[in-house]
Amino acid sequence: MMLRTLLALLLIPAAGTAAAASSGWSQHDHLRVALVSETTHIQPGTPFRVALRMQPETHWHTYWKNPGDSGIETRFDWTLPDGFSAGAIDWPYPERLPIEPLVNYGYSGEHALPVTVTPPADLPTGEPVTLTLDASWLVCKVECIPGEATLTLRMPVRDRAPEAAAEQAAMFAWADARQPVPRDRAARFATDGGHLSLQVPMPEAPNVEALAVFPAQPELVDHAAAASLRHDAGQLQLSQPLSDYFAGADARVEFVIVDTAAGEAVSVIAEHGELSTGAATAGAGDSGRPALGWILLLALGGGALLNLMPCVFPVLSLKALHIVEGGGHQRAQALAYTAGVLVAFGVVAGALLAVRSAGAAVGWGFQLQSPAFIAILAYLLFAMGLSLSGLVHFGTGWMGAGQKLTERGGLAGSFFTGVLACVVASPCTAPFMGTALGFAVTQPPAIALGIFLALGLGMAAPMLLIGFLPGLARVLPKPGAWMEAFKQAMAFPLYLTVVWLLWVLARQTDPNGLAAVMTGLVLLAFALWLWGRGQGRPARWLRGATVAAAVVAALALVALPAAPGTATAARTADAWQPWQPGRVAALRDEGRGVFVNMTADWCVTCLVNERVALSTDTVRAHMRDNDIVYLKGDWTRRDAAITEYLARFDRNGVPLYVYYPSDPDAEPTVLPQILTPDIVVRNLQ
Amino acid sequence: MQAFRFKPLIALAALATAGTVHAAADIGEPAPGFTLTDTSGETHALSDFEGRTVVLEWTNHQCPFVQKHYGADNMQEQQRTARDEHDAVWLTVISSAPGKQGHVSPEKADALTAERNAEPAAVLFDESGDVGRAYGARTTPHMYIIDADGTLVYKGGIDSIQSADPADIPKADQYVVTALNEMAAGDAISEPVTRPYGCSIKY
Repeated sequence: MMLRTLLALLLIPAAGTAAAASSGWSQHDHLRVALVSETTHIQPGTPFRVALRMQPETHWHTYWKNPGDSGIETRFDWTLPDGFSAGAIDWPYPERLPIEPLVNYGYSGEHALPVTVTPPADLPTGEPVTLTLDASWLVCKVECIPGEATLTLRMPVRDRAPEAAAEQAAMFAWADARQPVPRDRAARFATDGGHLSLQVPMPEAPNVEALAVFPAQPELVDHAAAASLRHDAGQLQLSQPLSDYFAGADARVEFVIVDTAAGEAVSVIAEHGELSTGAATAGAGDSGRPALGWILLLALGGGALLNLMPCVFPVLSLKALHIVEGGGHQRAQALAYTAGVLVAFGVVAGALLAVRSAGAAVGWGFQLQSPAFIAILAYLLFAMGLSLSGLVHFGTGWMGAGQKLTERGGLAGSFFTGVLACVVASPCTAPFMGTALGFAVTQPPAIALGIFLALGLGMAAPMLLIGFLPGLARVLPKPGAWMEAFKQAMAFPLYLTVVWLLWVLARQTDPNGLAAVMTGLVLLAFALWLWGRGQGRPARWLRGATVAAAVVAALALVALPAAPGTATAARTADAWQPWQPGRVAALRDEGRGVFVNMTADWCVTCLVNERVALSTDTVRAHMRDNDIVYLKGDWTRRDAAITEYLARFDRNGVPLYVYYPSDPDAEPTVLPQILTPDIVVRNLQ
Repeated sequence: MQAFRFKPLIALAALATAGTVHAAADIGEPAPGFTLTDTSGETHALSDFEGRTVVLEWTNHQCPFVQKHYGADNMQEQQRTARDEHDAVWLTVISSAPGKQGHVSPEKADALTAERNAEPAAVLFDESGDVGRAYGARTTPHMYIIDADGTLVYKGGIDSIQSADPADIPKADQYVVTALNEMAAGDAISEPVTRPYGCSIKY
């Protein structure tokens, strides 16, 4: 008798547990759901947790509170007894779910969405209560199926502390492990310039490579676009393109930051507003900053050196030719040229600073990362070459302008030669220029602009000298028949420059893109030939239309290689390995010395350095003997990670050479931008 | 000997470079042009409709979100309103690739139009997905409005309540109708960019 009573007493709560902790599974298309409780009964006044367990089939998933590009978040609608209240879903952090070309945020395995429910303190005991949840969701593989369920959970009410429902513990533990820990950080974000820029104060350096950042607001970022992340001066900094459907951000947005390696997450609330601009560079060695005057002088010298760069010299020689031809207008011509250079540098500086302030990661030479820009530049130089070769004469009775206008046109010509020289010079980051530029972009706009103008003035200096020093002018040879030959000879450096540009283009796109642009060159040559034949004869609309059509077709072909090529730079890497974020740290942890070379195919200085120094047997043997790992980063195309790496060394362009000694505590050494085998060996000790 | 000038070429170069920067369709910019074939094999170019308002609707008849709006006669009503009250050209676009969900034959597309009493000006096939990608269309439904000058003035969702439940339609702000009314009144479109929702397009 006693035994039977005891058994009955034991069995009743046991049976009650099984019934009370779950609504039971409800089967739907491609997933099943159940409303479950963490505890076996309710105690009046004591908050308890319930959760929607969702079990999608393999390859199917449901969505987080920001579902990403095309999903819809799971939604709850509660019907509760009087006096009960339910909180919001405590969302476990999600995973990235790529569905080409979109990216969604959600859960692909079995998961639980917990909610805390608070019963009234005066809830009578003994009578079970019923919680009703209307849940709706979207479950997707590639196709999507919306679903909904009404789930009821009956729970006993007892006047004692709730006990854990053992069979639900694992799922609540899963949700708890993925619950972001709220952190009170003075995080801020901005949405200028097409990018989300987020700053989160974070004194301890996180494992940046393993971080994933999920904004809780939908349509804030382009979910499929890569986010660039770095930790700098105690701040985690994120930049990611805004969504195409961005239509304004809330004043405060939650960001969930997940360390995917450690499986830990924090959440911060960021305020919409100005970022602390100094943060990116503050504390990165202010004491080591060179003085402003010295920097301006360096900029001036660097600018002058630009004239000797292979990509500027052809333009310069053109200009010299022009001045030789120009007769008595040297001063005006020289001033106009200088103005052109200064305006171009000013515009580039302004644009760079504007983009920079918008948080976009850019760097010097970035124009040359656009295949369309390269193609247009090739067309331009090719057309100039053809003109020098005599196929066509630009400016001959251009629009039938009179003598006076021709003179003004001559000055305008000088002005635009200056502009062009600056555009073409951009990839040749001469020595000194890296430091000046790196310094410039970290400075207030006025100083930065000053540095850029000093660079421009330096670049225009030789032309100014020719214009203003009669002595120099007298040294110039007398005009004569030789000039025609000289002019024609000058076409060949231009053609070589075109070849170089096409080579860069080939690295950026594929054979099809290259073929398109080369076809464009032929069309351009055809148009110029036709135009040249028409010069001096009455205008015919048919010829004019054909010329225009050919030029338009040539320009249209530029669009073909505009899509970033997929061709990867798979080179036969005998001595070097590709640079990747975090690789340096990993190698140093192994106690190895690391040499980093940041380069780009369009950087002439870089290629020369590799040829004369880095690829020599001396340097190779030195690296091998000292167990130095050679990492090479390729900036030929846009690469946010490399741009950030350059910024760490106050640089804004390539080349950049850094040596990390094998002693992990030793500071890295930055090598000069012009290398010899000797310099490399001396620095890599 | 003539002086050497490249001012016009530089201007050309600057123009061409600027033109290739924007790939996605942006509000206030010229809408990407296209030429597509309809269910009767006739081709339609966006430029054919210059001077009239054009509404683009991306669709996939097997998508539950499309079914929500067709099942409740919401999409058809908007098609009639656009045509009758705003003289707008309503083009329904199918970007599903062959073999993927939502891809249909011309006959099937006509049958769907008939059985749903839909009244688009044309149903266009974009099997390659080129036009869908040019517009950045990502869901079905996904809506665009192009004004008489060929400028994109609206892109986004069909309405403001993101669900598959037809009961939500009367409660939601129907963005396309709102925008057409605002255009007719000469007002600026209050919400030119909204969140598109639905099934991902099966490119």
